Parts: sequence; C-alpha cells; structure tokens
Amino acid sequence: MKKKSDKSNGGVSEEVVEQREAEQQANGKDSDAAKPYQPEAMVHLIVFKLGEESYGIRIEQVKEVTVTPSVTRMPRTPKFIKGVANIRGDIIAVMDLEQRFGIRPAAMVTTPPGTLTKDISYTLVIEAKDYSIGVVVKEVPQSLNLSVSKIDKAPSFLQDTTISENYIEGIAKVDSRLIIVLDMFKILSAEEIKALPK
Amino acid sequence: MKSREQEYKEIFIAEALEYFDALNRHISALEKQPQNDQPLAEIFRLLHNLKANAKAIGYLQISDVSHKLETAFSLIRSKELSFSEEVVTVLFDGIDLLGELIRNIDNPEYGEPDPVLLRNLDIIVDNLSDSAIELTKVQKYNTSKNLTLSDLIYIQIKKLDHMLNLVGELIIDRDRINSISRELNHDELKSVSSHLYRITEDLQYSVMDARLVSVGTLFNKFPRIARDVASAEKKEINLELVGQDIQIDRNILQIITDSLVHLVRNSVSHGIEKPDEREKKGKSRIGSIVLAARSDRDNVIITLSDDGKGIDMKQVKRAAVSRQLITEDAAKTLQDSDVLSFLFEPGFSLAKEVTEYSGRGVGLDVVKNAIDSIGGRISIDSAKNKGTVFTLQLPTSIAVKGALLFEVDEIFYAIPLMHTDQVVAMDKDELHEVGDILVTDIKGETITVVYLHELLNADEAEMRLGDKTKLKGQVQNIIVVTYNNRKLGLIVDKLYRQQDIVVKPLSKPLDNLDLYGGVTLLGTGKVCLVLDVSAITRYFINNRR
Amino acid sequence: MKRILIVDDSFYMRTMLKNMLTDAGYEVVGEAPNGQTALELAKETNPDLITLDVILPDNTGLDVLKGIKADQPDMKVIIVSAVGQEVIVNEALEFGALSYIVKPFSEEKVLEVVSQALAE
Repeated sequence: MKKKSDKSNGGVSEEVVEQREAEQQANGKDSDAAKPYQPEAMVHLIVFKLGEESYGIRIEQVKEVTVTPSVTRMPRTPKFIKGVANIRGDIIAVMDLEQRFGIRPAAMVTTPPGTLTKDISYTLVIEAKDYSIGVVVKEVPQSLNLSVSKIDKAPSFLQDTTISENYIEGIAKVDSRLIIVLDMFKILSAEEIKALPK
Repeated sequence: MKSREQEYKEIFIAEALEYFDALNRHISALEKQPQNDQPLAEIFRLLHNLKANAKAIGYLQISDVSHKLETAFSLIRSKELSFSEEVVTVLFDGIDLLGELIRNIDNPEYGEPDPVLLRNLDIIVDNLSDSAIELTKVQKYNTSKNLTLSDLIYIQIKKLDHMLNLVGELIIDRDRINSISRELNHDELKSVSSHLYRITEDLQYSVMDARLVSVGTLFNKFPRIARDVASAEKKEINLELVGQDIQIDRNILQIITDSLVHLVRNSVSHGIEKPDEREKKGKSRIGSIVLAARSDRDNVIITLSDDGKGIDMKQVKRAAVSRQLITEDAAKTLQDSDVLSFLFEPGFSLAKEVTEYSGRGVGLDVVKNAIDSIGGRISIDSAKNKGTVFTLQLPTSIAVKGALLFEVDEIFYAIPLMHTDQVVAMDKDELHEVGDILVTDIKGETITVVYLHELLNADEAEMRLGDKTKLKGQVQNIIVVTYNNRKLGLIVDKLYRQQDIVVKPLSKPLDNLDLYGGVTLLGTGKVCLVLDVSAITRYFINNRR
Repeated sequence: MKRILIVDDSFYMRTMLKNMLTDAGYEVVGEAPNGQTALELAKETNPDLITLDVILPDNTGLDVLKGIKADQPDMKVIIVSAVGQEVIVNEALEFGALSYIVKPFSEEKVLEVVSQALAE
C-alpha cells in the first residue's frame, strides 16, 4: 500500500528525524509559509554524498529515507541496478547513482582496527508518479532548508561534470558547501532507464 | 463516489453488451432453424429490453435501431416477413450496428450510423409485400470486431483485483507469522497462527472464486464470428461449443480473447476446406469445428479442433529452412512436434493470401505471447487431411501459483510448476560435454542441461555453458522445464520445496525485463525472483556457441 | 415502511426502479430477474406491492401474475410494460393487476402509480 503522507516518519532513521526536526526548529521562521514580509520561497532538500561531492533532492520527491534493507541482486540487469528490495511489502528497484553516472566512489575511510563499523548504507525512496525506486547513498542523508535564491540555475561549469545537465536543477551554495541539486523525476523518466536491455 | 448517472451508464453498457452477444447467438441459431420459436422469443425479449433501457437513459439511436429490429422480428414471428437470405443479411447488419452504437456511447468522434443500413432496415420493416425490395449491399465496415468482455459482474473487476492483491499481502504475512511461531515454539501463538492459516486460505479461495466467470461468456461470441468468416469465404461450417460452464478467472479470459478469436478465424479460413474440396476427399461438406473447455485440477484446458486439411509439415519445414531457422539436413530428421513448434516463431506464417479475416501478419507468436504472459501453455497437434487441434492449458486463477523454489548463487528463485516437467538429482559423471553444451540422459531421453549460475551470472563474453568444471559438488539438482515442446534441464545450487506463491509484477523500471515473470516474497520476508521459463530458454539458445 | 418486490429481467431497469423507490422511502425487499424467482420471492417476502414486467425470460408476466394471485389473491401488483403491449396490459388488468406503468417511465409517474396502488 502506498503511504503518501509518510514523508517524515516510518522508515526514516532516527538520526534523520532528529536532524530534520532540529533543522526545522532552527529555520522555524523560514519554513512558516506565507509570511507577508518575507516572500522568498524556500526549498527543502535531502542532501547526500555521491563520490566526493554533495548532492541534493527536493524533499517532495523523497518518500522516505531508510537503512538499506537486504537487496536481492537481479542477474542480467545493468550494473547501476543493485537489485530489488522489500520495503514494507512494496518491492522496488534499488539504483546506484554512482554507477549510473560513472562517479568515482569516495576513497574508503580506513577505520582503526577494533572499531565497530557496520557496512550500513541508506536508501532514499523516491516516489515517481506510479512507482517508487530506491537510491542508495553511503552516509546518513541530511535535511537542509534554504532559499530558492541560493540555487544557481545556470552554472557555467556543468559541462565538466559527469552528470548530464538535464538532470541537474541547479547548484546550491550554502556556506562553503556546494550542493548539486538533482531533479530525480527527470532521471527516472530518462529513456535509458525506462528501456532496460532485455 | 460515482454519480448515479455514471452508475446507470455503466450498468446500461454492460447489460447492453451482454444483450448484443446473446442476440448474435440467437440469430445464428435462428438462421439454422428458422422454424424454432425459442430463439425468436429470446431475440424479441432482448431487443425489447434494449429498446426500453436505451430510451430511459436517452440513447435514442440505440432505441430506434432496436425498435426497427424488434418490428422486423415481430413481422417474422407473424410470418408477414420471410426469413430470406437478403432479410437475414440486413438483420445481421442491424445487430452489428447495435453493437457499434453501444461500443461508441463514450466516443465523441463517432458520427452517424450508415444511412444505407438504416434505409435497408426501413425497407424490410415497411415493405410488407417483399417482391419489390431493393436492398442495397452494405459495405462491411466492421470486419475486425473488437471483442470486449463486460467489466461488470455486478462488481467492478478492479475492486476484485484490489481484493486479490490484499489477499496476496495477507498470505505473505501469514506465512511469516507461521514461521515466527515455529521459531518461538509458543503453543498459543502456534494455534492462533494455524487458525489464521485456515482463514486466509478460505478467504483466498473465496476471492478467487468471486473472480470466476464461465468460459461461455467468451465462447458464445464465436458462433457469429465463425459464421461471418465462413460466409465470406463460401465455406460451410458447424461450430460446436462444449463446456461453456467451466469457470475461469475473468482477467485470464480477457487476455486470451484476441488469441482465441485469431485461432477460430484461422480454423475456418485455413483449416476447413471449401465444400467441394471436402466432398472430393470423402468428407462431409460441412466442416466441423469444436471449441471445448474442461477442468483439469488447477487448470482449464481449452481445445479448438477442426476436421480440415491439417498443417502441411513439409511446407512448415520448407518455410523454416528458407527463414534459416534450421538447416535443410536437420529439418529432415525433425519430429512433427518440433516442426509444429516453428509455427510459434515470430512472424512465421504459412498464409499465402491475405484474406479479410486472417493472415494479416498476426502470427501464432502473438497468441503464444499472450498465453505465456499468464503462465499458460499452448500446443498444436495436426494430421494431414484429418485436422488440427490447438490445446491451451490455462491457469484457473491468476495470482496464486504452485512453484518450485531453489537457490542459485545465494539468490532465491522460483519457477511456476506449470512449466516444470520433472526434478532429478544426478551425478556429475552422467553429464556429458557435447560441443558447447551439456547433455544428459533422463529416462531414455537426451536432454540439454545448463548450469543456471553460469547462464545468469557469468560475463556474457566468457560464458562457458558446455564446461563441466564450472559445476560445484558431485550431485547436481536438475529441474527439467518445457517450453514450446522443447525440454531444458536447469542445474540449480540448492533445491527447496514446492510452494504456493503470490507472484507480484515487477514495478517500473524493471517491468519490461523478459527474464523475470515477477517476484514473490517468501515467509522470511526475503525477495524471490520468479523466472520466466520462455525467456530463460530463449536466452540460453542465444548464448550457446 | 411499505415493502416492494421488483420483477424485471433487465438489471438496468431493476436498478433504476429500486433507486427511485428507495429514494422515495419505500423498502425494496427483493428483485427477481425471472418468473420463477418472482413466484418464490413473492411468497417468501410477502411484500405490500409487486412491480411486474410483462416480458420475462422463462414466463410471461401474465403467467406470473396468475401464479401470484392464485396463492396471494390480495397481493397488489402493478404492471410495467413498454409501448405496444396494450393487449397484454388489458389482459393483466382483467386478471387483477391494479394499474400499469409504461417504459420509459418518469420518476413522478412511478411514484404516483405506486402510492395510489398502496392507498387502495
């Protein structure tokens, strides 16, 4: 069953919820819609890392964030399809965007021996019109509120990135961070995903 | 909430389509036995209802045409109008027009009915002295009849689809609770869980049962279709329907509708010979076609048999050789069943001439795909001058299938039992490397086998399907599957039990992957991939070299 | 609440009649698509009124009317017919039907005839 209103509970990991709540409190004034003296529109992003860079997706496009469940590999599908996973009875495809865009994975952080580090990753469940798809990210995704004006719609250096500019909504600059804002719907509707090799 | 108008309209259309089918059935019967009052009374009643209902809802064209037909039939009943050939043609056309009007109720593009046809109807209704009737031949505008089954069984089918999906979810949870209760070994939980098991099983069967319709709802459309093809091709046929009461899932029936129409048309068009030709062969002038349904455990078997000229094996072989599906030498030694399976190859058609009713480039491959998509099987049997039999083995219900569970490279897979032939355990030494493939002898039959791990997971460029060293362990578990009369042994890593599974379709963007028929959730919550046997077979054939 | 049984072989007609009557505050106690069921339901439900279609798949409405009247002589029956069946309607009135409605009917007409019949 679809849970449309399931944006900020359910599968979201505890940390994420706390972070998001903290964020919302911090930005309390901003997130209140329709303040007459502050007409500037806000954008709520879920921010995560691919390779060495930060990427963001508008929260409206994210149904939930969850610890990646066990993914069943599907032989003879493209490499960027990690497989299928059971998320509360919905069986969805799980995609690896690093593979998909040919982004070099970040160098592994070497952990001192004896440290308890589980190989945990997170899955953003993206809800498209009539289906959902999972996107795996390695670190805990963060929630971020910023004003629309912080997103530069037409950055000139896009040709250098590995991701086709069609999928990029813009580049956000927050403090010293640079966040590439992706339009997931465009990625999902891209022909190459729709027409997987048979 | 639906508006009452909308509800009325849906009911009207559903009922009107039922009436349309029944009218066709009865008029075909009446044509054979004009003296029989029974079909005439029924036709009368149906037209009468159609007229009244259409008038009430405001579809005046339908009520007008129904009224004219009703008048014509009342004249026939009172013997004021003879049931002559010209009259019959006009009446058939009139009933077709009704069907067309009903189907186009929601179509704003639909213009006006053919005026020639309306005029013909007026002529037979008004001109009682039929000496001077001048009926204009109506151009057949509606040769490919779009058959649709009613969407209403007093409840919308999508509601039943939804219920069935929910039952599927429930069964998965039930199995999960069952396995947890066994793990915990808690007596009360075990007893509750076994009760839950029985109830969900009952519920599942009730929902499946609610979706069943009799195959007659589809079969009854065929007397008219067969009659039209036969009359266009100047053939005489008798179509016998058997087992109309056999029950099957409504969606399965909808999916095979076009296929069955295709097969019936083919039978009349290509199977049955012209009357003179039949006489020369010492057969009755009237060709016989039997469309029969019967139940066989969880399946419904539909057979379509004709006593026509049969399929010419030599011609099929020649066509297969010329299309390079097989070498000329190999064709010589081929068994009939293998020859016939070529007919299911994409685009393979023997029709020399394109007639109005068949041979329009739609091959049997399309039929086969439709039947494959619901996990059914189709086979042909044919003997020269004796006739041809098509056998369709269809599941009674869509969702729950018996399947064989197994593991390859730590991934769970299932294959529907419908496609499994047998399961054998065999020593590695009994497998032989022959050329680029592995073969073995199973009960006297030489069967090609393939290691699924290699087929599914090896790099395509380095795939070595004929290499025994790839196998793990000494004893190999082999599942023999059949597809299109070909057998293939699949070597799996671990073989599990047989189980009823609820196949969920894959959602986008994975929904058009051939290799997988869907997925299912195991009691443990693990995802299990359901392999499509036809795709696996094709994939194997394409990768052997 | 007055209880009514509807006899008509068309599901569409039954649905329409049922909605009209239910909206007007009557209770529809049964729907019969054929003569056999009509006779059974008439006995079983013993309604205050029956609306009876004159053409049925297994029986004529007239036969059903006779059958009902044989068992329940005081049963109130209204004939529902289409235009062109005046002969049958007249015969039905002779056999004890109270009045008749001609298809296609308006809601007002149905309710008027029904309430008159029930008042008798």
